[in-house]
Amino acid sequence: MRTVAGPNRGSRSLLWAAILFVLTLFVSMAVGEMPQLPATVRVPIALVPAVIFAYFIYQQRRQLDTGDELEQRIQLEALSIAYPLTFLLLVILGQLERVITLNPEDWDYSHIWPFVYIFYIVGLMIARKRYQ
Amino acid sequence: MKNRLRVLRAEHNLSQADLAAKLGVSRQTINAIETEKYEPSLTLAFKVANLFEQPIEQIFTPNGDKPGTNT
Repeated sequence: MRTVAGPNRGSRSLLWAAILFVLTLFVSMAVGEMPQLPATVRVPIALVPAVIFAYFIYQQRRQLDTGDELEQRIQLEALSIAYPLTFLLLVILGQLERVITLNPEDWDYSHIWPFVYIFYIVGLMIARKRYQ
Repeated sequence: MKNRLRVLRAEHNLSQADLAAKLGVSRQTINAIETEKYEPSLTLAFKVANLFEQPIEQIFTPNGDKPGTNT
């Protein structure tokens, strides 16, 4: 019989994928600030974290499949909070861009995607609290 | 939806973890059902009914009806 309580191999894979993502992100950021390197080197290195993140998403998806019905509901509710918040952020930034020039040092793509994950974590916390 | 899960679990001398293992769900799910914060799927409700060998309507009842009084 399937048991779902407690940390398992899937959770560890997810954690390792997250750690690897952060590490490769810092490396790619450091390499990105080396203008002496040709673009043919910097571009692939810049995309390595994206590949790792794709693996992270895959692991997260697998983790969700092994969860029970309550866990799947919690994940769904977390996304139902994160998605509109992300949309709201993009609407706000889009509307602001119509009237003022947003500083790309503050609001380029790499500044926005952490918010998306923060919204997901917030949604997850709200959903988990609801069923505690 | 009201349920008698906590009572049945106590009658069978099962912990939440024991019941969770028998049903293949997490302890959190059992707790959420017992505290009526979460309504289980039909599949899970039937698993509970089979486990305790009782009709499903003796365990789960709509709000307003007393559990176990449905005919």
